[in-house]
Amino acid sequence: MNHLLLLLPLLIPLYAAILCLFFWRYVKVQQYIAVLAQAGLLVSTFLLLLEVNTNGIATTQIGNWPAPFGITLAADLFSCLMVLTGSIVGMAIHLFSIKGLDRGRQTFGYYPILLLLQLGIGGVCLTGDLFNMFVWFELLLICCFVLIALGGTKPQLEGAIKYVTINLLASGFLLTGIGLVYGITGTLNLAELGLMARAPMTHPSMVTLAGMFFLVAFGTKAAIFPLFFWLPASYHTPPIAISSFIAGLLTKVGMYAMIRLFTLVFIQDKGLMLPLFTVLAGLTMVIGVLGAASQNDFRKILSFHIVSQIGYMLMGLAISTPLALAGSIYFIMHNVLVKTNLFLISGVVAHRHGTYALKKLGSVYLQHPFLSLLFFISAFSLAGIPPFSGFWGKFMLAKAGFEADYFGLVLTSLAVSLLTIFSMTKIWNEVFWKRKPETDPLLEVMTEADLRVNRLLHLPVVFLVVFILFIGVYAEPTVALAQRAAEQLLNSEMYINAVLKR
Amino acid sequence: MKTVILATAIRILIPIFLLFSVYTLFRGHNHPGGGFIGGLIGSIAFVFHTMTHGPHHTVDTFLKVNLYGYPRQPNQSRSLYLMRMMRVNVWRRRRQALHQDIRTHMVRIEPISIIATGLLLAASSGLPALLTQQPFMTAFWTDFYLPIIGRPGTPILFDIGVYLLVIGIVLKITFVMSEE
Repeated sequence: MNHLLLLLPLLIPLYAAILCLFFWRYVKVQQYIAVLAQAGLLVSTFLLLLEVNTNGIATTQIGNWPAPFGITLAADLFSCLMVLTGSIVGMAIHLFSIKGLDRGRQTFGYYPILLLLQLGIGGVCLTGDLFNMFVWFELLLICCFVLIALGGTKPQLEGAIKYVTINLLASGFLLTGIGLVYGITGTLNLAELGLMARAPMTHPSMVTLAGMFFLVAFGTKAAIFPLFFWLPASYHTPPIAISSFIAGLLTKVGMYAMIRLFTLVFIQDKGLMLPLFTVLAGLTMVIGVLGAASQNDFRKILSFHIVSQIGYMLMGLAISTPLALAGSIYFIMHNVLVKTNLFLISGVVAHRHGTYALKKLGSVYLQHPFLSLLFFISAFSLAGIPPFSGFWGKFMLAKAGFEADYFGLVLTSLAVSLLTIFSMTKIWNEVFWKRKPETDPLLEVMTEADLRVNRLLHLPVVFLVVFILFIGVYAEPTVALAQRAAEQLLNSEMYINAVLKR
Repeated sequence: MKTVILATAIRILIPIFLLFSVYTLFRGHNHPGGGFIGGLIGSIAFVFHTMTHGPHHTVDTFLKVNLYGYPRQPNQSRSLYLMRMMRVNVWRRRRQALHQDIRTHMVRIEPISIIATGLLLAASSGLPALLTQQPFMTAFWTDFYLPIIGRPGTPILFDIGVYLLVIGIVLKITFVMSEE
């Protein structure tokens, strides 16, 4: 059963994408295929999580080649949680794009590419081979390039070129790092690498050198402090269905790879790595949130907040105790859901009012109290107000930080939370609360059909809010899962033994 | 760029390219070759044809399939009708086409569906293993040898898939580029 369950998160999107290619001219059929595939993916990832939760780490060897030689797929709790969160978000995005994306873009291979992107996310999270991981990242890069450039308007192409240039550079660093690692240890299997990096004959400074290449590469893909400039430059350009998927998931996939590698392989030189991560985490949080405070566009504020939130995920890696890593894992899940949802809400508002600029928006609260409630829940989750999900992630991180004497970092993170509330309040004030500035009333005219579409667009937002409320209000199972995932990450022997079958 | 010399030469060369590509495809398991290279060699034929005759002519020559059909007789059963239709399309096509009742439908094969077929074959080559509770893409081989092909097995499906995929993609790129 393991072999099938582990492959389903990859096979379902792949086969759905192939089917979509067969029905290239029939957008309606593609929509059905894509939504069905997402539902299947949701079920299969949930089953995988159950299986891994009860029976421990699941592995399969592609082509039946034994572990250090063939490509391994391995799912521990962390990867299961990632693919599950990814499929939840994917479902919401597919539902949103059916009505929320213009027809012209949908006809040019939008659904196959989106499914392939989902395949790439599953691949990165489930693979147990370093080079294979690189290949999946390339798949993500190509799909993202197509999605950002889809439609070919001028700002989109500009954003896409920035995105691709910097990320290609990062891929180059990644490849160099992989080459170095292969030169040092002679293997690319993650579990075998974990063994070799701990072996006495491996030179620790060489491993650290290779680790720096990976830090730069995944740092660029995850948008940590000095390497994040491509993100606010490109993420707001495509239509909202696309940018919310990319913004919600992709940086976190980079973060996943970073946590995986820096807990399994590059763990020798903690004296250098942990202070470095601490500084980077603090700076990422502060710079991101300050960038957001200076913006006046709904989507740009949210884009800068992605950067700021990446800092929290890095904070867990910097503290590197079980509780801190659990906080990171919980925070990643929470952030994927909330960030996507906030982007989708901005899309619903823009669908009704035709703009993302804070200056031109207003009195949404008066017209859509329900949407305002949904925004309120998501924004408070993002800021970390107690009953909602962000609070638990930040609480675990702060507690772990105090226990491990990282007072500076914890204080920074709390201050950044305050600034996050400031940003969210700004959006609330400008978009929802203030009186709408006088504009041409003709711009506001909507037909009955448009209004119906707008009501339908609420559906994916509600879908995501249900999950946000679930992991926030009833946090215990999720927190427990995150803690067990963190234990699995820190006891690398479990992963190594499961893959190498020792 | 239509020259008589190239046009004549390409007429002779196309079958050679295609034969050689298929040969490369099947010898790929144990020798240099395989689906990717075979596909590239095979697509050279189409690229040259497009260069000499233009994309529309290439589509007309290689990617249009005639399907023959006739309306169902009033008291003919559905299964018999389907079988007849299949026979019409397989057996003695040319001679059938001259019959007056039979109508011809032109079907154009899009490069995108060649790509999709290739992907489908390549992805499905791993599925038999899953059905027998083995890891994905575990190879199954038969016991007998066939001339040229060698020992048939599931990995050859993967290679054929890659072959179709490469041909489809090169065709798509060629058509798009030459129409501009």
